[in-house]
Amino acid sequence: MWHIAKRELYDNLNSLRFALATVLLLALMLTNAVLYLREHPKRTQAYHNAAAGAIETLASRSTNLYSLATQGPGDLHKAPSPLRFCAEGDEAFLPTHVSGANYGRRIADMTPIWRMFYPQETPNLRNIRPDFTTLDWAFIAGYVLSFIALLFTFDSISGELERGTLRLTLANPIPRHIVLVGKFLGAFISINIPFTVAVLMNLLLISTSDAVQLNAEAWGRLGILYGIVILYTCLFIALGLLISAAVRESGVSLVVLLLIWVSFVVFMPNTLASIGSRTSVPIAYEKFWIQRMQLADAAREAYRDKYGDSQTPPSVHVRGEYVTSEAEEYERFNEAYLKQQIEQGKRARAITRISPTAIVQRLFESFAGTGFERHLQFIENVQRYAREYREFVIDTDRTDPESLHVVGIQEGMSQKPVSPEAIPKFKDALNLNRDFNTAAMDLLLLVLFLVVLVSGAYLAFVRLEI
Amino acid sequence: MLKTLIGRELLDNLMTFRFAAVLLITLLLVVANTVVLIKDYEQRLESYNTSVQTHHKEIQEKETYSAGEVEVDRPPNPLSIFNVGLDKRLGNEIWIAHNNVPTLWEARMNASDNPYLNILSSIDIVFIFEVVLSLMALLFAYDALAGEREQGTLRLVLTHPVRRGHILLAKYISAMLCLLVPLLLSLILAMLLLTTTTTISMGADDFGRIGGIVLTSIAYLSVFYLIGLFISAVTQRTGTALMLAMFVWGALVLVYPNLILAIIRSSDIPEAKAVSAFNEIKQVWDEFDRERKHFLATDAFPGEDPTFNINGMGFFYEHFPENRLTLLYLYNSMMTFGELDEKFEEEVPHAQNYFQYLIPSTINTAERAWLIRKQALEDTLVRKSNMKRTLLKFSPVGMYDAATQAWAGTDLKGVRDFFDAVRHYRQTVIDYFYNKNAFASRKWFAADEGAADWRTLPAFSFKRSGVEINAKRALPDLFLLLTMNLFLFMMIFLVFIKSEV
Repeated sequence: MWHIAKRELYDNLNSLRFALATVLLLALMLTNAVLYLREHPKRTQAYHNAAAGAIETLASRSTNLYSLATQGPGDLHKAPSPLRFCAEGDEAFLPTHVSGANYGRRIADMTPIWRMFYPQETPNLRNIRPDFTTLDWAFIAGYVLSFIALLFTFDSISGELERGTLRLTLANPIPRHIVLVGKFLGAFISINIPFTVAVLMNLLLISTSDAVQLNAEAWGRLGILYGIVILYTCLFIALGLLISAAVRESGVSLVVLLLIWVSFVVFMPNTLASIGSRTSVPIAYEKFWIQRMQLADAAREAYRDKYGDSQTPPSVHVRGEYVTSEAEEYERFNEAYLKQQIEQGKRARAITRISPTAIVQRLFESFAGTGFERHLQFIENVQRYAREYREFVIDTDRTDPESLHVVGIQEGMSQKPVSPEAIPKFKDALNLNRDFNTAAMDLLLLVLFLVVLVSGAYLAFVRLEI
Repeated sequence: MLKTLIGRELLDNLMTFRFAAVLLITLLLVVANTVVLIKDYEQRLESYNTSVQTHHKEIQEKETYSAGEVEVDRPPNPLSIFNVGLDKRLGNEIWIAHNNVPTLWEARMNASDNPYLNILSSIDIVFIFEVVLSLMALLFAYDALAGEREQGTLRLVLTHPVRRGHILLAKYISAMLCLLVPLLLSLILAMLLLTTTTTISMGADDFGRIGGIVLTSIAYLSVFYLIGLFISAVTQRTGTALMLAMFVWGALVLVYPNLILAIIRSSDIPEAKAVSAFNEIKQVWDEFDRERKHFLATDAFPGEDPTFNINGMGFFYEHFPENRLTLLYLYNSMMTFGELDEKFEEEVPHAQNYFQYLIPSTINTAERAWLIRKQALEDTLVRKSNMKRTLLKFSPVGMYDAATQAWAGTDLKGVRDFFDAVRHYRQTVIDYFYNKNAFASRKWFAADEGAADWRTLPAFSFKRSGVEINAKRALPDLFLLLTMNLFLFMMIFLVFIKSEV
């Protein structure tokens, strides 16, 4: 078996495709590292500046509890992932922050309570860019490496069949499956040599730079990502062997493989996503906006009808109840819309799992801490922080015996100064355990694909007539 | 002789498995995607129609002129099915007011935008051709010369009194005829699907544009065929030719566009030029604000209160919203009351006098700021995105994409046509206000003596530019593609003439 693998390996190492693949992969990986080193420090710097600025504004505003309760925590920023060179994950199109602020309209002399605002669209500024996927590990593995894997295997059986060397090999007392495994190993090693070298160069560049520090956890994640790429390459090698054995002619097997590649790698993710996104369409933003306005207007009218004309303003408790319920309702509405948008994204993503490339893309995103899943984590972090912030305001108010404990009304709240250090600060963090949970299903699917293709290749080769 | 050669080549190509397989997969992909794309277009059209109606109703319900912010919508382009370009991605709803000259950058997306599925679903018919047919063209070409040389049939053919140029021409013509079959068949199927849906109506101009897309597609295919033929002419073995062809395809279609866009990715931080333009715009508005305050201080009404102490059921606000990235800075103010208490009757003439001065002054300032902003936006944001598109054109994929977008009218210029129309319409709205003498009237801010009259406000309508404009925009790229064809053919001819068989 090793003999066959070695023979395959020598064959491949001397070929033009090996040289081309090495050059291509090296060039891509080096560009990836250089670009990352150029962009990432800027990105982290921008994030730190923005986050520090937000905390500063919060501290400067926190003269008393009332302004904390009405103005809210301000902009909450998403931390960039240090592994963004592995998977860009459409980060350029996802919102970078969520605002907890107060844009509400006043009623009578009451300032409304703050609420969360989630960006509902991508600004034109970003959308005007031409759209192509970005040059990350996910692209290099998902598109380029799979393409190379097919070019290495399309003639590995049919080519030998045509030249007659396969008959020669099988004349020796070797079981067929050993031949197949040998061929598999040969192709596997010869594809992984240039890829591994390229990855090592990439990591060498990144780790020797002062601009970026990768911690132990990041290295662990990189190891997992490398393993996923290996699994994914095996998938395409098995596919190549299967078609090569089933079709018998090199020319035909190449055409079949390329068409499968084009359909599964290029088209399937996009077409399926646009079909999937249609199964759950959020209401039009226009309608959402009008509904929200109507809701706010109705609450305002109801309040006016009750108390608007009376000469004496209603009690602090009544007014407190009004501002609280108005803010809650408004936020619930915003969250419902966000949920609809996320649901659409989830549907679109779920259906693309038929394509192994989409699975690998998802896996890359979840382990690199970028993209959609990461954004959901960010939103969860933000919502947890919002609860914490609200509780802080209420709890601090409770400690003051002079206060009436009516949140949202100036004279109903504690007048004592708040120390800026005591206010909870937002810190965006990644959670690895969750990644494993979301990724387990995808990994399982990938393994399933591999098992099916390997057994297919085995059957096709065993039954092959020479 | 040429005819015989073409006949032979044609038969050779048509009888192959690769032809059948590619035909099948192209048809399948085009039909499946066209159905999805049509559904998508219908959804966008529906949301456009509801949006237009809502906006029409909204403006009619506004009681005062001051509250009347007219909103207009950009209709979806039916040819976005062929190349979606920027049609789906750039804002399609914009507000028109006297205090700002509207641009693309203020436009919002209604309905269709969801940041959580942005890149995923941008597929169109041109993209399918871009990927599948270019691959097919290379598969047809890689063994055209190298294969015959290997098999020895080339030597056989050349023993006859045939010119080498004729052999090349025959190969080229027959292969192009074969490549046209999937292209045209899938286009015909797509057109059939398009014409059976009632929501999409196409005019003569649209057929002209589609014709342009077909022409560009043929030129694009031909480039890839000639690249393959060139590789085939310079290599001795089919295996080498195949590997080279595949890697060239990967480099041109997959790698280059991603590589170049990644290299020149721009940050969201405004350039120095933009910053200085923004400050200039701000100065213009600051000057306006000083004059405004001066007016308030010196008019007959004591104090500087812009509300003239008027209050009641309604609201007043004024602020200067800004966006440093898109150089937006303006004075935004509204004062509108449904009913006015009689005790304010004395103040009303003062307010009328103020608005009669304020609004024309705001319009003037907005125009002045626009002159600065227009140039600065052009120099920074637009130039940046145009540079990216130009760099993409080093690959035929970029040329093809740009040319078909121009034909379909979904390129940046096509989208900007709409905003030109919007700016024109803003002038109409302002003229309407002047005709109604709205600024000096009480109805600008109070509806107690009758509501504002919106009935005769001319409706906004946008017609896409004529096919000749599309042609003018597409021709440079088409010309580039054709020149590339010619150049490649000459190279192949030279190599083939000099090669030993």
